[in-house]
Amino acid sequence: MVTLDVRPQLLDALSALRDRVAAARFPLPLAGAPRARANRDELLAQLDDYLVPRLRQPEAPLLAVVGGSTGAGKSTLVNSLVGRRVSEASVLRPTTRTPVLVCHPEDHHWFSGMRVLPDLTRVWMPHQEPSDDLLPTGPDGRRVLRIETAETLPPGLALLDAPDIDSLLADNRVLAAELMCAADIWVMVTTAARYADAVPWHLLRTAKEYDATLVTVLDRVPHQVVGEVSRQYGALLTKAGLGDVPRFTVPELPESAWGGGLLPASAVASLRTWLVHQAQDPAARRQVLARTAHGVLDSLSSRMPELASAAAAQYAAALRLTSAVDGAYDSEYARVRGRLQSGAVLAGDALKRWRAFPLDCTAGELLDALVESLAALLLCAVTAADERVDDAWRREPASDAPALTDRDPLPDNAEHRIGLAVRRWRRELEEYAEDEVRALERGAAPDPEAVAALVATVLLGGRRARSAGEGLAERLGAHGALRLRDRGGRLLGEHLDRVMHTERERRLAPLEALDVHAEPQAELIAALSVLQKER
Amino acid sequence: MTAVTDQDHTDHTDHTGRSDHTDHTGRTGHTDRTGRADRADRTHHMDHTDHGHSADDRAHEEGDHSVTDTPTGEPSGEGTATAPEDTRHERPAKRPDAGPDRGQDRGPAGGPDGGPDEEPAGGGRTRERAERAPTRVPRDPGTDRAADDRTGAPADAPADDRTDSAGAWDDGLIARRVNEGTGAEQGVSPESRVGAAPAAPAPLAYDGPLRSRLDALRELVGLSRARLDNRTLAEAGRVLDEAGARRKLSGQHTVVAIAGATGSGKSQLFNTLAGVTISETGVRRPTTAAPIACSWSDGAATLIDRLGIPGRLRRRPVQSAEAEAQLDGLVLIDLPDHDSAAVQHREQVDRILALVDAVIWVVDPEKYADAVLHERYLRPMAGHAEVMFIVLNQVDRLPGEAAELVLDDLRRLLDEDGIALGEYGEPGATVLALSAITGDGVTELRELLGQFVGERGAASRRVAADVDGAAARLRPVYVTGQRTGLSEEARDEFAGRLADAVGATAAGEAAERAWLRNANRACGTPWLRLWRWQQDRREPAATGRLQVRTQADEEATARQRVEQAVRTVSDRASAGLPAPWGQAVREAAVRGAQGLPEALDELAARTGLPPGRPPRPGWWPAAVLAQAAMTLLQVVGGLWLVGQIAQVMAPNLGVPVLLMLAGIVGGPLVEWSCKMAARGPARRYGQDAERSLRDAAAGCGRARVLDPVAAELLRYREVREQYGRVTGVGAGAR
Repeated sequence: MVTLDVRPQLLDALSALRDRVAAARFPLPLAGAPRARANRDELLAQLDDYLVPRLRQPEAPLLAVVGGSTGAGKSTLVNSLVGRRVSEASVLRPTTRTPVLVCHPEDHHWFSGMRVLPDLTRVWMPHQEPSDDLLPTGPDGRRVLRIETAETLPPGLALLDAPDIDSLLADNRVLAAELMCAADIWVMVTTAARYADAVPWHLLRTAKEYDATLVTVLDRVPHQVVGEVSRQYGALLTKAGLGDVPRFTVPELPESAWGGGLLPASAVASLRTWLVHQAQDPAARRQVLARTAHGVLDSLSSRMPELASAAAAQYAAALRLTSAVDGAYDSEYARVRGRLQSGAVLAGDALKRWRAFPLDCTAGELLDALVESLAALLLCAVTAADERVDDAWRREPASDAPALTDRDPLPDNAEHRIGLAVRRWRRELEEYAEDEVRALERGAAPDPEAVAALVATVLLGGRRARSAGEGLAERLGAHGALRLRDRGGRLLGEHLDRVMHTERERRLAPLEALDVHAEPQAELIAALSVLQKER
Repeated sequence: MTAVTDQDHTDHTDHTGRSDHTDHTGRTGHTDRTGRADRADRTHHMDHTDHGHSADDRAHEEGDHSVTDTPTGEPSGEGTATAPEDTRHERPAKRPDAGPDRGQDRGPAGGPDGGPDEEPAGGGRTRERAERAPTRVPRDPGTDRAADDRTGAPADAPADDRTDSAGAWDDGLIARRVNEGTGAEQGVSPESRVGAAPAAPAPLAYDGPLRSRLDALRELVGLSRARLDNRTLAEAGRVLDEAGARRKLSGQHTVVAIAGATGSGKSQLFNTLAGVTISETGVRRPTTAAPIACSWSDGAATLIDRLGIPGRLRRRPVQSAEAEAQLDGLVLIDLPDHDSAAVQHREQVDRILALVDAVIWVVDPEKYADAVLHERYLRPMAGHAEVMFIVLNQVDRLPGEAAELVLDDLRRLLDEDGIALGEYGEPGATVLALSAITGDGVTELRELLGQFVGERGAASRRVAADVDGAAARLRPVYVTGQRTGLSEEARDEFAGRLADAVGATAAGEAAERAWLRNANRACGTPWLRLWRWQQDRREPAATGRLQVRTQADEEATARQRVEQAVRTVSDRASAGLPAPWGQAVREAAVRGAQGLPEALDELAARTGLPPGRPPRPGWWPAAVLAQAAMTLLQVVGGLWLVGQIAQVMAPNLGVPVLLMLAGIVGGPLVEWSCKMAARGPARRYGQDAERSLRDAAAGCGRARVLDPVAAELLRYREVREQYGRVTGVGAGAR
């Protein structure tokens, strides 16, 4: 086992890994995302609050975090260990809303800075006789850690009274989990009534998973049943593979809880002795530190791949969403192309106008109708693509991300944009037509607008506008007509591409804003392998 | 005193006794009476003797009863047709008095010396029956349908009112009687033998509003099957099933489960209420592994069957007259914990909590704020507040005023969970503190429980809360709170888009202009016509007159416009609808739109103007004539002048010049006035053309798209109303 010296390379590798973990994001609401997010937060807390500071400063005092279910008597236990009321205990639950850290005055500097638990604002209460109404309430929205000093605690040991791990207040639960992550020694408090509860067992299993230094306290045991309860609990622990965990039993005494009295020193003496021994005996201390620290380091080798696979799942989901959009727009684009070729634009109004042209319809009207019809075709393609995307996304759980669901609810915008693009095309086409007409030397030059209308008809009308092509050739000559058709066709293609592309980008924009990439996965794994090489 | 364990009743198949019945066929019409006498004798002599016999006894009850309730079923078993008839005559008559005092009637009658006690109850007939009795004393005690008659009738009577499902009812009844007999028979204490010939408890009857809500929910589920997936409807289906199952079972009983965390003292409270140690208590956690039932009165066996609690876990409380009277009809279930590491406990709790009529949540000062209790159970069940008791146990562990503090905090938490608290006489959950060990507050709970059970309303209230819950969960798929339906504007817009797609406006304008053009041509001055004709000959393409563009148009309708129109209208129609229904509307629209463009093509070809020249109005010849006259005037005037110039005619400048001038001026004048005159008809002609196309397109669209969409909307509205019935009436009834 590696001893706990300060090792810069390891620390570097660790902080690189920490940054990778901090950068990991799981914005898509996949099945595993909440868990991945929680894992990431927990891992980050463990790295920031425990592993990095501990490896950097192995000489810092041991931190024992007292955790457990609501009403297990954590505060009472801490108070009794310290020998005075440092943490408020009460019959009302949840009691401890502000975590309290107690340490020897000499150790105060270790905790007053932001070395551990940097997220928590420190509140330092000057030594005074605490009374019930003097609970410091932190500024709203900021989480607070109260630091108390007590001469009665030996130097090199700090106790942290955490909120309930199963508190009704979700924030408390998160905070409790974060505090547990910062511990060198996990002190799990349970009671005679609770020792079979699922929640504390979950915590015990987690502690086992991380191989943290763990000690359990069976609190509030009525003295008549001490033997039996303790035996039962022991059996359960053994069954869970935690038989070797030190176990302490605190009997239920009249002063034990419901009033916040202190337990007599004898009740907690054995626990206190054990803790003091861990803190002051160098060998025991080193072992405690190494065990927990290496437990966390070891756990990285399974937790990092988990995060990485969650990141990969995010990327895969994003890719699926993107490809759904691409597929929809591609197929719609192909359809628009096909329809243009078959002359679908020259239908309805436009067709009627064309029939009437030039006797009963002016060139301007024909152009108007054609342009409008083209805009309708494009709008139809875009909305159809959107519909297909919606359909495909409905089957994807990832598409429920709030950023993706509240799109701009005005499809008129698309209509507006398409209208603009189509009108611009018309204008440019008219300019081309004028160029051609001007190039003609003939005195009786044809009307440029009529030429433009004929070109538009040829371009948009497909086969059914054959006679328009003839008319055009008649007016401009075969050569000029061909040139104009080519230029106009290219222009049409450009505008068409641009419209479809813009709409596709607009659709993809929120997805891209979520910034889900393939890299985090590889980076996480790479950081882990660097770390493992350093160990 | 110890509690009594029910035995499994698996050996009821012995029907040999039935063969005896055929012996008595001669006594037509009296079988019941003699049977009754037998019964009296039998209870007198044979009680306390033989459990095996009793089992037989029950088996025959089963056989007989099936005959009684279905007279056409197997009359030979009874050997007489009059007996069932007899029964039916007696029932209504007995109903009024038998119903109310059934409880007290049963006590003495079923006791060890029930025989003599029966005399007054049976009236004159009993005496008559007693005369015959001696002849049949050794008879197998199988045919005691008389006893059935007497005690069974009151219970059956309400059943006869319910004519809905006779078959199902029969089954339920038989099962109940068999089980219940067993439950009572195995009792060791004499009190529990009361049930040897117990009354079948009346089934639960939901009140009118609840029944109609259940019906509405059933119909709603039926209507929604095609639109919603099974998972969405599963909850509602389960509620219906459970409501149906509960309805068939006893309405005289209230099943109350005691639930809570491990170590809160559920079993302790259970034992305290039962007055005897039934459920094992201990420090070992979790203690109770399987639910245990305890029934205060008979007839609850089927109810307990429904919970899946085996016979070996059924108990009777210690009977004392006072407790019996107070908690009559209570079936108490001690549940395992819901928060221990043993997952199967949680599953059992979840399963049974869904089936019981009411719940007593036991919390203790240590655990009352556990997240798992509040988040997993109390919050989701907030709607069931009326059938909830929340009991703060172990107050003896709290010093003095702390109990009040904790109780207040508990109330606060419950309030945050959204549970209505039954204070100040409002309906809601009952919260109280007690100590099962010292007995503090247990009396109060017992009183409240007695009152609660006595009301016999828990089952209905639970079902009502279930329906509320199911309705609330279904709300998002039925209600959005927005206005739904297809507005008139949306319909008009759809018609407009279709008209665009077929080009109605353009066609109208073209028609109008063509008409005008023709009018001009027809009424123009001949010189003009001559000029035009020449132009035409020179370059035919320019005027388009010779173009043959009237080829067969495939796809004359703009497909993209039709598609867009359908999409827009279906979006409009489905706006404000819950997703599944919106989807259905869209599908209906898309389905209708298939073939719509082709239909519009065909329609446009049919209703569009015939190709070629527009019709000519009657006044054109006159105009042409006038124009011709003008030309003639010009010609005449010209000739005249020419004649004068040629000296053929006498020089007279005035008249020919005048004539010519008249002709020259008159020609354009006629043309102009014709043009003016043609304008109106031309517009009318164009508008007609446009309107006919527009109407045809709109009609086609309506038939193919709007009507299916409207039908779908109507279906939704129907379902929405049904949903309103599921929720609304409930609110009204409260």
